[in-house]
Amino acid sequence: MAIIERPASDTLTYSDMDAAVTATSSYGYLRRPVETTGWRSWAFTVDHKKIGIMYGVAAMVFFVIGGLEAGLIRLQLAGPEGTVLSADKYNQMFTMHATTMVFLFVMPMAAAFANYFIPLQIGARDVAFPRLNALSFWVFIFGGVFLNTSWFLGGGADGGWFMYAPNSDTPFSPSNGVDFWGLGLQIVGIASLVGAINLITTVLNMRAPGMSLMKMPIFTWMAFVTQMLLLFAIPVITVALFLLMFQRSYDATFFSVEAGADPLLWQHLFWIFGHPEVYIIVLPSFGIISEVLPVFSKKPLFGYPFVVFSGAAIGFVGWGVWAHHMFASGLGPISVAVFSVSTMAIAVPTGVKIINWTLTMWGGKLWFTTAMLFAVGLIVNFTIGGLSGVTHAVAPSDTQQTDTYYIVAHFHYVIFGGGVLGLFAGFYYWWPKIFGKCLNERLGKWNFWLMMIGMNMTFGPMHIIGLQGQPRRMYQWTEARAGEGFFNLGFWNLVATIGTFILGVGILVFLYNAIFQHRKEPAAPIDPWDARSLEWLTTSPPKPHNFDRTPTVHALDEVFHRKYEDVGEGDQHEYVLRTSLEDLVLEEERHADAHIHLPAPSYWPIVLAFALPIMAYGVIYTAWLIALGAAIAIAAMFGWALEPADAEPSDFDPPATGGESSSKELANV
Amino acid sequence: MRDSETGTSLTDVNLPNARGRTMGFAALAAAGLFVAGCAQNAPQDTTDPAGESAQMIYDLSWPIFAIAGIVGVLVISVITFVVIRDRDRGQPIPEQTHGKPILEIGLTILPALILIGVAIPTVGTLMALNDYDDTECVVNVTGQQWWWEFDYPVQDGCGGITEPIVTSGQMVIPADTDVLIRGTSRDVIHSFWIPRLNGKRDMVPGRVHSLKMQADEPGIYAGQCAEFCGLSHANMRMEVVALNDGDFETWKANQLEDYESPIGEQALAGEAAFVANCSRCHQVDGITDADGVPIVSRPDLQVYPGAAPNLTNLMTRNTFAGASWDLIDQDRRDEVWNADPDEFGALYLAGVEDSWFNEIDLREWLRNAPLKKPMYADPLQLDETDGLYRGMPNLALSEDQIDDLLAYLLELK
Repeated sequence: MAIIERPASDTLTYSDMDAAVTATSSYGYLRRPVETTGWRSWAFTVDHKKIGIMYGVAAMVFFVIGGLEAGLIRLQLAGPEGTVLSADKYNQMFTMHATTMVFLFVMPMAAAFANYFIPLQIGARDVAFPRLNALSFWVFIFGGVFLNTSWFLGGGADGGWFMYAPNSDTPFSPSNGVDFWGLGLQIVGIASLVGAINLITTVLNMRAPGMSLMKMPIFTWMAFVTQMLLLFAIPVITVALFLLMFQRSYDATFFSVEAGADPLLWQHLFWIFGHPEVYIIVLPSFGIISEVLPVFSKKPLFGYPFVVFSGAAIGFVGWGVWAHHMFASGLGPISVAVFSVSTMAIAVPTGVKIINWTLTMWGGKLWFTTAMLFAVGLIVNFTIGGLSGVTHAVAPSDTQQTDTYYIVAHFHYVIFGGGVLGLFAGFYYWWPKIFGKCLNERLGKWNFWLMMIGMNMTFGPMHIIGLQGQPRRMYQWTEARAGEGFFNLGFWNLVATIGTFILGVGILVFLYNAIFQHRKEPAAPIDPWDARSLEWLTTSPPKPHNFDRTPTVHALDEVFHRKYEDVGEGDQHEYVLRTSLEDLVLEEERHADAHIHLPAPSYWPIVLAFALPIMAYGVIYTAWLIALGAAIAIAAMFGWALEPADAEPSDFDPPATGGESSSKELANV
Repeated sequence: MRDSETGTSLTDVNLPNARGRTMGFAALAAAGLFVAGCAQNAPQDTTDPAGESAQMIYDLSWPIFAIAGIVGVLVISVITFVVIRDRDRGQPIPEQTHGKPILEIGLTILPALILIGVAIPTVGTLMALNDYDDTECVVNVTGQQWWWEFDYPVQDGCGGITEPIVTSGQMVIPADTDVLIRGTSRDVIHSFWIPRLNGKRDMVPGRVHSLKMQADEPGIYAGQCAEFCGLSHANMRMEVVALNDGDFETWKANQLEDYESPIGEQALAGEAAFVANCSRCHQVDGITDADGVPIVSRPDLQVYPGAAPNLTNLMTRNTFAGASWDLIDQDRRDEVWNADPDEFGALYLAGVEDSWFNEIDLREWLRNAPLKKPMYADPLQLDETDGLYRGMPNLALSEDQIDDLLAYLLELK
């Protein structure tokens, strides 16, 4: 059972709480796993840190898959009348590239960071619902794998990631690709929704004593806003996907024009989800660089409340701009005018963030580690993406730009420049926290510059290609429409392709750094960056219970203020290092809490998650599989509900010697 | 790329100090580089408007590009400045300031003011673009996988049309006239986009969307379906051909001339082959069987959207198969596309003659259409589409039949 830890409440012991909420005796065959090593320790874990690492690894695998898809797309478009891919395969490739990158890379990678660092940043020992956390990870894995099995079962989805009706219907997309897509995303959506509920509860209920909302680290804030967006956005896309499933598999007529449907219904549903999704993608990265910039500038985040409120404002206004994806759809001029103006309005809080990041660096003491380089790279590239965004908030201009490569350029500057670069800043910044070793900085700089040059060579020319009239999603382009002169569209298409491969090499450098070079690196010091926030107030990697003593928070940038003292007088400030982080952590160990109860691992999240793709195959192939999947799901739910709160003491090797409490005590580890 | 306006706008900005001037020059240099780096004479260049609507959009767009460019250069310059000035050179730990609210509020209001400045002309232009009151001519546009049909209903506009005209691939309009396009689709969503004349408008099944088209001068204006519409989306193109009033009258009269069977022996054999193989889907107005009964195509029995291009007067057009391939050879094409506005009409109205007929592509098309243009036209897939093709199947014609058909089709004008 999830133990909601409130260290301040001395009146209630944990064993009393157990007794209040769960059966104390086990049902014999229902036990809880106890392994702390081997594959079982990962498959059944409920530890937010292990789950975070698994999220990260899985997302990275999907990133490589999505990157290969991108490489094939650019190879096809390197020259006129490309023949690397057939029209059919090309359409599958761009659909799956976008789907993979959005749903299976950026979102879960952000979830990896949120999972790992939200509890650490708020001084908690785990998330509010640890088993749900495991469930959401395994549901994501099975959903992502299910989605990609379509490659071997008749081909991937071919309707574009936006999957506009009625082109998504069976007569126009006869393979099962779209079925896999619709069902796979429903499954992945469950993962996001469960995760959102879990993390929102965690942030609201489990912050350490003294951490008011306005003392909460900024990454946690941005991740929190993201989870709120997910909580409301995922149900919308789920409804749309549910209708699509019935449309395709059970002859419903939600999107059948001949039965009176209006195809614009799908567009509204998709973009009511799809626009907040953009902020779901970028806000976690904004949070990451809002941590990285202060650390490497040796200054607090400039205008913390403005960054918080602009994030929250984006979270609200983000719901009122969806139809700017539909300026050419024929909504009528009044609707278009309203959404055009609301889209401009959302540029203001976004601009506030850029200004605050810049002013954070202003007058600082800048240390250009790889993490810092990625953070500065994000500001620069996201500024370009934001400004090109303003140019198509202007609806009349957008009717020339939408569905051209100009839009492809724009959203890659936003999603890659604003999202992915932030995730890479996070890798380099938090790697020593997670693994106890730094990533190699020299390779890191190669990684950064190759990615920076590659991304600008790939997506920069697309501005020109688009404004000069090349639409998106065409499997071939032709000389006849490419213009004349040396710098014609053919030249820029080739440059973009070359850029893609430079970008790819940059990512290979990262993979080499993370997988091979990492092993040769020495152990990192406990405080490699002179960090400022609470996740550093523990060992690296953190112990299973995160903190020996639940920290009490007095300030934003708690760790900085514990380390440094201002000995200046009046307006003169002089900061002196009073205590090193090593000593602070040793101090915490000396005052470790007497009883630390951690949630026990569980067999059931992975079993329950496994049932979902079986049901989904059933929707596509045969109803019997739905019944089988449902049976497994119901069994898993009962197992989940009936399993004991903790493992039996006799299950441990050597057996635990707990007294009246059956929980595994981890005091004074 | 039009550079003159962008250039002047940037130098006109009155920047107060030396650093400002440097940034102005940097912005100018960036804009200059961008312009120099662009293709010339790209047929779908949005920055080279040739009609009223496209011009309005462009006039609204370029100042916004310029403002965005200046803001971008400013922001990136400030970042570069800070990154160089404040790098760690052993300076003491700076003051742990959390910000200055006045500065923050000021820097929030500033972009808001710029955006209000952008919003007002945006809404004005938007309303003007959607004002269809002064249109003088109506063309119905229908998209389907993967070609466009244009039909001219009976009307007083367009100089008077007494019988409906149906054509495809190329939409012929009178130059310097506001034409109202009423568009829809027969299957999935398509988007009608002639970049040099106007922005795009989706054509949605079950809905009729309007769009204004006007070309300042006679000429040919390229376009492409801009909404992903399935397998052969890339091969769904269209062109707008603008003719001066006299030439447009000639074109209309020619379209409405009565059908006459060809005279040559091979072309006559081709007519028979057409009736046997093609007329199930493709209409040629006026064609009759041996008894003089008009032959009416029934594409609704054969292809999914229930329509196939009407081939009446095919050789007055320059393209076929969704405007993806030319009926005229490359030299002739260059001549037509690059003609002076005064001479364009005559060149276009000459249509396709034997001496510049691009036989190769049309022959390949007749030999095996789905090989040339990907289409769901595989007999094995028919059970998935209620027994209907989408696009033209491989008709397994013999080479002799193809020779005859080519001879016949060349007579259709």
